[in-house]
Amino acid sequence: MSEAPTPNETGGWETLAREAACRLESGGDLSELQQFLTFRLDGAFYAVPVERVREIVRIRPITPVPRLPAEVLGVISLRGEIVEVVDLRRRLGLEPTEPARRSRIIVVHGGDGSIAGLLVDGVTEVLSVDESDLRAASGDAVESLCVRGDEFVSLLDLNRVLEIDGNQ
Amino acid sequence: MAARKKTRTRKARVVSKADKEFISEAEEILERMRLDLADLSDQRAAGEEVDPELVNRLFRSAHSLKGLANLFGFDPVQNLAHHLEDVLDGLRLGRVLLSVAVVDVVDRTASLFAKLLSAVGDTAAIEAMSEAVQALIAEIELAKQPVETQAEEFATLDIEASLLRALTEYEEHRLRENLRRGRNILLVDATFEIISFEEGLSELTTAIREIGEVLSTLPAPGESSKAQICFSLLVASDLTSTEVDARFEFPDTTVRSVAAARNPAPAAAGKSVSTSVSEPIATVDPPDGAAPATSNDAPQIQPPDPREFESLKSISDTVRVDIRKLDELMNLVGELVIQRSALGDLVSRLHGDPATARIGSDFGKVHKALDGKLRELQSAVLEVRMVPLRQVFEKVSRVVRRLRVELEKDVRLELCGADTELDKLIVEELIDPLMHIVRNALDHGIESPNERSEKGKDPQGCIKIDAFQRGNHVVIAVSDDGRGIDRERLRAKAEAKGVIEPGDVLTDKENLDLIFAPGVSTRDEVTEISGRGVGMDVVRHNLAPLGGVVDVDSEPGQGTTISMTLPITLAIIRSVLVAVADQRFAIPLNTVQETLSIDPEQIQRSEDREILNHRGDALLLLRLSDAFGLAGLSRDEKSFVVVLGMGDSRIGLIVDRLEGQQDTVIKPIQGPIPTIRGIAGATELGDQYPVLVLDVSALLDDALHRKEAA
Amino acid sequence: MQRILIVEDSATMRALLVSALDEMPTPVKITETESGFEALRVLPRQRFDLILTDINMADINGLELVSFVKSNETYRSIPLVIVSTEGSDRDRDKGLSLGADAYLVKPFDPEELRQIAQDLLSRAPRSNEG
Repeated sequence: MSEAPTPNETGGWETLAREAACRLESGGDLSELQQFLTFRLDGAFYAVPVERVREIVRIRPITPVPRLPAEVLGVISLRGEIVEVVDLRRRLGLEPTEPARRSRIIVVHGGDGSIAGLLVDGVTEVLSVDESDLRAASGDAVESLCVRGDEFVSLLDLNRVLEIDGNQ
Repeated sequence: MAARKKTRTRKARVVSKADKEFISEAEEILERMRLDLADLSDQRAAGEEVDPELVNRLFRSAHSLKGLANLFGFDPVQNLAHHLEDVLDGLRLGRVLLSVAVVDVVDRTASLFAKLLSAVGDTAAIEAMSEAVQALIAEIELAKQPVETQAEEFATLDIEASLLRALTEYEEHRLRENLRRGRNILLVDATFEIISFEEGLSELTTAIREIGEVLSTLPAPGESSKAQICFSLLVASDLTSTEVDARFEFPDTTVRSVAAARNPAPAAAGKSVSTSVSEPIATVDPPDGAAPATSNDAPQIQPPDPREFESLKSISDTVRVDIRKLDELMNLVGELVIQRSALGDLVSRLHGDPATARIGSDFGKVHKALDGKLRELQSAVLEVRMVPLRQVFEKVSRVVRRLRVELEKDVRLELCGADTELDKLIVEELIDPLMHIVRNALDHGIESPNERSEKGKDPQGCIKIDAFQRGNHVVIAVSDDGRGIDRERLRAKAEAKGVIEPGDVLTDKENLDLIFAPGVSTRDEVTEISGRGVGMDVVRHNLAPLGGVVDVDSEPGQGTTISMTLPITLAIIRSVLVAVADQRFAIPLNTVQETLSIDPEQIQRSEDREILNHRGDALLLLRLSDAFGLAGLSRDEKSFVVVLGMGDSRIGLIVDRLEGQQDTVIKPIQGPIPTIRGIAGATELGDQYPVLVLDVSALLDDALHRKEAA
Repeated sequence: MQRILIVEDSATMRALLVSALDEMPTPVKITETESGFEALRVLPRQRFDLILTDINMADINGLELVSFVKSNETYRSIPLVIVSTEGSDRDRDKGLSLGADAYLVKPFDPEELRQIAQDLLSRAPRSNEG
């Protein structure tokens, strides 16, 4: 087992994504593989498709926004863009905690051309997943489970995750 | 044992699905390179010291490109990428002179690369370009002017060999460069507990970056304890070791001088990077008689200018200021304005009492004078933020010059109104939309020389950019004399995209305006010039937060004009900052009629509503803390009322504190719940915390509506 | 089991290194770090039998890490391989003169990496578990 690293901050994501593509070079026949960014949340592993990830940023000041459900922590400023941050723990019904040093905000593309931030406990790695490693899941926002060693990684359905009822 | 260096020929093993991904990644890298190159040119043109990180980043981009190119396995691509990386590596390490010719050839290499990418998969097309590739490679080699470096220049440094040995070649180059510039070289030694060194070290590094450049960071085992770790930081700074030492208050940290500053060596001609490049701005005509299609924008390899160093002096009567400093200044002025209002209150109180009426009147005069000066100060500060469009125009010229060669179009660019001034912030936001419009005109608007001749037009097309002030707005119009917009096609496209129904009757203007509908102006085929997936809808969308408007006008066969109208000052909206509990909110000043300080006993009640007798009128009050469910001050404390008015409606908004006025740029909120009742957007004030901007009309609506219900 | 420390800021390159090393004839335990700083923190916590490091990283560079390891009583004996992009011969020479045991050029050949690792591990004294 390896310790979980996080992609480095400056330009890390781009390098990571680009070099993830380079894996094809050594793997040769990986065309069936899909890539997911995995992260930790309350001791378990979750993942979102790499192509939906715009960038990964460290925790930064979050301004709370009134009249929003508790799942949305507030907004951050991302080089001039104002982006809502979803507390993924709360969104998935897990115990909320204070952000820690390893916590990251994963900035993802929403379905409608906008972006959104997801607060996670820490980013782990990019996982290449073969269709055959997938197991059906019955969770609300979890699309399927992926077997990785003796652990499961829950692959999130981002559209469902970002469907939050504003009238609360 | 040492590893052998391997050279392997890699053949493309990528599946075609992956091809697309690689291409789009490579395009992203190229786009970033172009931006970096533009910045580089700007820095050179301004006679500044070129940011080493910029060159380093360009190198890394080229390096990534090479990595991708190896995957393709197409020789021309690989070969070109290799030379590109090589020349940038040379620049980064100071081995190659950063000349006009080099920047130009790198720029064109990036362009050719983009062309190659668009042909990936089409072996014949790639083959067809191989001649151009070879020619460019030859040019790259020609443009490289080696910089000689002294064999051993670090011998005189008072520095441990172990530290020098651990410098990478890039770090060595930075050390050399700083020595050449005559900076102080310092060694900062610091000891930390190994379990927590990162925090301490990053604090130290941040502090050092304020006064200079960290050249390297060498860790060493702790001397007294195994639980400790030492770091030796090699630093270049304009300050001396004593000055730095006095400035720093870090425990267990020592600073000593390794090399003292001396006057910069009279810049050996080949070494300075500060050539000033001035391009004629008015028109960019192709050289007479040169056929632009084949026009070789060959780099004129300019001899190094012996006056390079003097160009630094020539700009010494202008100061470049971080826009954030101007923001700070603006904030201070905003606070003064608030103070002034408080003075105004005092004046009227003095006036109101017969015993103090006389002194009140004198006081009033002083207040008025102060008021006038404050306004002057305010507009002076605003004026400092204004920049002419000249720089933007220069960028456009560069792009047009390059594109007309790539697109094999004969185009002349006419620029008018380069002196028109706009707020720096608007100018920044303007560049992308403007570039997009110009690229569109060049790519889709202007016909090929042959087509133009056949139509009886001047074979040379014309793109005109006209900027001028109209009242409180600046209009920037981009006109071309190309083929104009095909209304039928536009309509068909809009129908296909479901924007309109087949039977819809449209006026001509509505028809033309379809170009702004999402997805409609997006071309099906991807061209390198206008990019993929970005249409006019994005231009409109980008300008909206600035309060900008885009209009289109087009005559079939005659050309198209796209005009952007931008407010000179509205992009910065003056806002009143208020606070409830710990949170600040911004209220656009144009909705604020006045602000009052009130005692709790002044508030009267009518049923469940609170009202204030305001000069005889009943002013309905709304507590922002109630509206937003925040824990505000308790009701028996003194608070502030912001009188909000729009049209005929007025309410008094109760807040805990007033925190002055500021210029704000309102940005939309993105995320799962983008529209929040009562909040118009958010703004940044420089401290990272976005500040929410109130939607006054919604708040008024809600408050008054409830009143009717009550 | 012998332990290998990987210091590499690119997640993909780490993944490639790991997947190459996973197929070592004798299984090894791998610790990944994303920066020189992280490596400095991890080093005192465990005994490693081999270190693989990149050169160009954001905080301290690989040469500085080599210098640290090789000038340190405790770590000096750990074999160290620099895995870096081809390019600067001087960086390579410096790394070797600072005491690195091998220099491998990216993109590396997994078989070559395993060879080198096997060689160096067989020289290293076996570490005690945990």
